[in-house]
Amino acid sequence: MKDKSILIVDDESDLLEMLQSIFERAGYTKIATSSSGKEALSMFRNHQPDMIILDVMMPGIDGLTVLKEVRKISTVPVLMLTARGEADDRFSGFENGADDYLVKPFLPKELLLRVQAILNRSYPEKERIVYLDASTVDLDKAEVQRGNEKLSLTAKEFMLFEKLFENAGKIVTTGSLCETVCGEFWEGYENTLVTHIRHLREKIESNPSKPVSLLNVKGIGYCLHLKEAKP
Amino acid sequence: MKQVDRFFRRYILSTLGIIILFFVVNLALIGLSLLTAHLNGVKDPGFPIEHFASLIEKKDDIITADSEVQDILTQTDTWAMLLDDNGTVIWQNNLPKELPLEYSATDIAIFSKWYLDDYPVKVWKHPDGLLVIGFQPGTRVRYYFSIETDYISIAIWGIICALIINICVMVMLFIRNTRKVEIAMRPIMDGIHKLSQGQAFHLEEKGGLAEINTGLNRAGAYLIKKDNTRAEWIRGISHDIRTPLSVILGYSSEIEDTPDLPAATRKQAGIIRKQSEKLRSLVADLNLTTKLEYSMQPIRIQALNPFELARQVISEFLNSGVPEIYILDYSGIDSDTVKPIYGDVYLLNRMLHNLIQNSITHNPKGCQISVYTKTDNGTCIFCVTDSGCGIKESYLALLNNGTSIPSSQEGTDETEHGLGLKIVRQIVKVHQGAIQFSNVLPHGLKVEIHLPELIL
Repeated sequence: MKDKSILIVDDESDLLEMLQSIFERAGYTKIATSSSGKEALSMFRNHQPDMIILDVMMPGIDGLTVLKEVRKISTVPVLMLTARGEADDRFSGFENGADDYLVKPFLPKELLLRVQAILNRSYPEKERIVYLDASTVDLDKAEVQRGNEKLSLTAKEFMLFEKLFENAGKIVTTGSLCETVCGEFWEGYENTLVTHIRHLREKIESNPSKPVSLLNVKGIGYCLHLKEAKP
Repeated sequence: MKQVDRFFRRYILSTLGIIILFFVVNLALIGLSLLTAHLNGVKDPGFPIEHFASLIEKKDDIITADSEVQDILTQTDTWAMLLDDNGTVIWQNNLPKELPLEYSATDIAIFSKWYLDDYPVKVWKHPDGLLVIGFQPGTRVRYYFSIETDYISIAIWGIICALIINICVMVMLFIRNTRKVEIAMRPIMDGIHKLSQGQAFHLEEKGGLAEINTGLNRAGAYLIKKDNTRAEWIRGISHDIRTPLSVILGYSSEIEDTPDLPAATRKQAGIIRKQSEKLRSLVADLNLTTKLEYSMQPIRIQALNPFELARQVISEFLNSGVPEIYILDYSGIDSDTVKPIYGDVYLLNRMLHNLIQNSITHNPKGCQISVYTKTDNGTCIFCVTDSGCGIKESYLALLNNGTSIPSSQEGTDETEHGLGLKIVRQIVKVHQGAIQFSNVLPHGLKVEIHLPELIL
């Protein structure tokens, strides 16, 4: 993902310079910067970047206008940066097609993680294989390979696994998991979720009674741990 | 404005009560005086003629009078005579010389109704004739009334009707006037209510109360302008500070994470980064508390699962890498029949976040932080308990009274006040809830928040 081209747009030259430095230090090789909305639109049309980081408040053409123009011709992922944290501003950004929204001031790590997550979602790897301690999961085939055994995931198990994988290493709450499989009205589904998790463990863990990959955080939710080093 | 309605209703009812009480008391007083007169046998409170008559007796064909007769006549400056059936004076006392001692039936008929030679008189039937008491001219007025029975009957009913109509008209006029006052006052009360809520309003500057309306409009405009200026200033400052703070955070993090640099430089960069993060938190808190204080924060009430809300907040802490010296745990009643509560997800999330962060901030040596959620009888309870150092009893009392305390327990007058708990209190208020702080044994702080499931 580090080879993806990113266009950063902000009228503050110091911030622009800092952002470029952060991304380059993080290993991104194709970083372009622009200090105005007009220039950003021109650069977008000429270079077609893989992602745009866009400041909302800029003199001349503001970030939201740039976003609207971009959305007329492209679905390129856009992360909005803003110095205004009001909910209405966030909604306005999302309504106009932003993929994410980050309020200033932010930690560089937070920005990098968000960009990484957006790129992963927008440009999935061709072979989506998840490596776990006792098994590997092929997300394209919804299939678990455990030793010589091949096990298929049910639709709900797959949805749960994908949600956990998207947040690998982080706790996903019971409600979020229930919502993933049931939608908005998930209340009362908690006990069924436990059953699905047990079935999932039976497929991905070597000993489902003592799980090492899919762990329960008591009272809060579940966390999926990936194998640290891929074979 | 229900209180204002109640006030006017009570005002009308109390005035009607006063009118009714007035009539009842007057009727009672009249009745009482009549009863007293009846019980005392008083026929004429000016002259005790019945008693006087009893003091004159006929013994052996001679009319004699008690000595009290003279006393009464002297005290009342009157004279008396007793006429027999032929109109002849058979007894007299103090009788003026110019008055005759013989009276015809015509004379008696005339003076019993009018005057006897300008003397107003009273007559009383005596066993031996007619007792006549004469007063000094000009001391009494006498009238003669003779009305037909039908006329007096109509007159009595007319008086009763007039009285009732008078009362009705009086009550109607009173209610009408009160309503007029109420109608005139209502916009003013609305204006004052809106003023207390920090909302904009404008009253029509005409009519009898135009001067008050003008004054209120000016006061409202002034206060709102002052609030807006302050809020805009804070918003502007916080906006202007965000971009420079991003640069400071970015570069300090970069320096801190560069292994080639000297350890001392990296440590200093780390300190700059931590302080910048505090500034970031302060800017966000300042913004939110100002907006809540001036009712500028949009409140988005929606149904939400309180248990999932608590889980979300705790998972955010755990996912952000809370130091291992803090143990976060959660318990709540997870049942299939969880009732949603109604509130603003963002604000309630922030409320729990601030409480947990408060436990972390004030217990740098680490502690266990337990979050508990429960729904009970139309109330949702959020409880955050830590096993930290707790809080001084004096500060506890202040917190429970809604007073801010220094952010540091060793605070001096110069110590800055924390905004975290202030925001929590504001959010609880917005949700019409209650908050209670208490120490736990052997040590630690417990914060319990009760929120209504339904916000009115």
